[in-house]
Amino acid sequence: MRTGLAVLAGRATGTLSRASRRGGGTTLPGDVARAIDPSVLRRLTADLREGAVLVTGTNGKTTTSRLVASLLEGQGQQVVANRSGANLISGATAAVVARAGFDGRLRADWGVFEIDEATLPAAVEEMRPRAVLVGNLFRDQLDRYGELELLARTIHGALEQLPPGGVAVLNADDPRVAEIGLGLSRTPAWYGLDDPRVARRELPHAADARTCPRCGATLRFELVYCGHEGVYRCPAGDFDRPQPAVAGRDVELDGLDRLGVTAGSSRLEVPLGGLYNVYNVVGAFATGSALGLEPAYMAERLRAVAAAFGRQERFEHDGRRFTMMLAKNPTGFNELLRESERAHGRHFLVGLNDRIADGRDVSWIWDVDFELLAGRAAVVVPTGTRAHDLAVRLKYAGVSSAEPPTPQLDGALDRLLGAVPSGGEGFLLCTYTAMLELRALLVRRGWLRPYWAT
Amino acid sequence: MTRAGESALTIGWLYPDLMNIYGDRGNILTLYQRARWRGLEARVVELGKGEAAGLDEVDVFFFGGGQDREQALVYDDLLETKAEPLAEAVRRGAAVLAVCGGYQLLGHYYQTATGERLPGIGLIDVRTEAGSRRYIGDVVARADESLDLEPTTLVGFENHSGRTFLGEGVRPLGRVLRGYGNNGDDGTEGVAVGNLFGTYLHGSLLPKNPHLADLVIERALGRRLDPLDDRVELDAHRRIVERELAGRR
Repeated sequence: MRTGLAVLAGRATGTLSRASRRGGGTTLPGDVARAIDPSVLRRLTADLREGAVLVTGTNGKTTTSRLVASLLEGQGQQVVANRSGANLISGATAAVVARAGFDGRLRADWGVFEIDEATLPAAVEEMRPRAVLVGNLFRDQLDRYGELELLARTIHGALEQLPPGGVAVLNADDPRVAEIGLGLSRTPAWYGLDDPRVARRELPHAADARTCPRCGATLRFELVYCGHEGVYRCPAGDFDRPQPAVAGRDVELDGLDRLGVTAGSSRLEVPLGGLYNVYNVVGAFATGSALGLEPAYMAERLRAVAAAFGRQERFEHDGRRFTMMLAKNPTGFNELLRESERAHGRHFLVGLNDRIADGRDVSWIWDVDFELLAGRAAVVVPTGTRAHDLAVRLKYAGVSSAEPPTPQLDGALDRLLGAVPSGGEGFLLCTYTAMLELRALLVRRGWLRPYWAT
Repeated sequence: MTRAGESALTIGWLYPDLMNIYGDRGNILTLYQRARWRGLEARVVELGKGEAAGLDEVDVFFFGGGQDREQALVYDDLLETKAEPLAEAVRRGAAVLAVCGGYQLLGHYYQTATGERLPGIGLIDVRTEAGSRRYIGDVVARADESLDLEPTTLVGFENHSGRTFLGEGVRPLGRVLRGYGNNGDDGTEGVAVGNLFGTYLHGSLLPKNPHLADLVIERALGRRLDPLDDRVELDAHRRIVERELAGRR
């Protein structure tokens, strides 16, 4: 009864929130429903006929969970998911409440949720997932989490609490994730990449260095794929990369739109670009395998997926093409800059906010290789609440084509628009809340559809 | 002692792989670019674990922050291979800028929550004790008047649980107008003794405080520098001062 009432109140709040244009109604309904019935998420996920899957990690949560949801949906099954990126308990609750009946029952087969790293213990406890994927742990939002060591222990503790039969799907190429997995009492399903052709031979930044969890020696990387993801070992022999059961081979990167990778005997061709998306695809494939999906079916299904909302989104206006990308930490940002380089991008808007969801500390922009834009970009428009910090960063990167800082997104968007020639392409790289604000602006201008309609 | 002379600036980056969190690269880049923009030949020497070569050529050392695990890993190396040459370099006039963890390690000791004292190298007269709550957020400080900085403010972002206390008569880098600073108690932020600068401010510190960056370079080279066009840097600086002193957003 209480659960029914919670669903009713939560759904009413969601409708009101959308009607009043305050946004997609992505977390408020969850808070309202939980206020009425604190166990609403626990009760509703218990109704799932198959179970829940959680996806966590610093980068790639939204894309990976969309891929997993898509794999499960393609089986003709009903999937509930928090698609808007609202990844705290309130966001997950809002997603299940929106799909539940007023009788307080949820009629669906699967729940697929991206979950904030620090929220994982509560999410595991309430949703008792069949599988949890941990993609990577980069230095992101340290102002919110304090030490990454603590966060790693938190995730480890959550994975130890998985119900019987629950699988931890872990990226073996990330030493921090490997450390978590090697300490677990059950064997994880490891995945990773195995293709030296797309690897670097050394870490891109000193800041990416990692140390052996046992002896403290600096790890030696034989191959580096993204940030500190690669093939590594402790020089003293105390720790090395676990052998991935699902390893991505023969990687092909084709601009912003396509990637190919072979996992087992399946060739996966996916309409997503960038090496970091290869990890997302292989991780989703490994999760699907752990849940018993057929490789041939997954390969077929992945051909048709669309990019996750906002993480990478395209639109056209006035004969010009635009690509909007979420960039929230140095590793993700550097991959996007390299991707835009492969696409010969020359016109950029960079939005940096320092609200809580972005991380209030913006020092990480000094670990982003904006030097890649020097001499290449025709225009770079710094915007957001920290536009002025970006302007300083661009100056020290030698980007002489940087425009003056324009904190208002509206004005910044017009500047970019004025700079992109007819038939040309503009790139918009934004932190999380800058992305949400920019998207809302694009919806108001009628260039994009509201995300609850996608 | 092969100081390269007045036409060059050698920057020594201590433990770039282990003590490099919160965009410390920005501080290195700022020292480097501001030297180059004045026609000085600038170079960066990386001083990792076990590496002591080249310490005697350094004009300015930068020592950044790390997480607990990394910080624990540099203790032994710092005491064994760096402490003595570093002290010698300071005696001959090299400057040192240390942020957060690096700042703590330059003091007498760091006392953990369980009361264990991890020795620092005692280059500056400060001591640090573990605190329970982390101090996190934007900081605006009034620079110590002895530094004669213009503008008189310093801005940055702090994120630390250590509480640092200055020895008797030791001048702070500044006093907080917004934020916690050294210990959240006595209003001091950082330390400035001769050519030694310690602080909890990152963000990165130097790009948004070009006047402090130049002071560090001037102390390292022992001479005044010509001014640069710092409008972009000072706009960013002023914007944070105004926002923070007006109350957050």
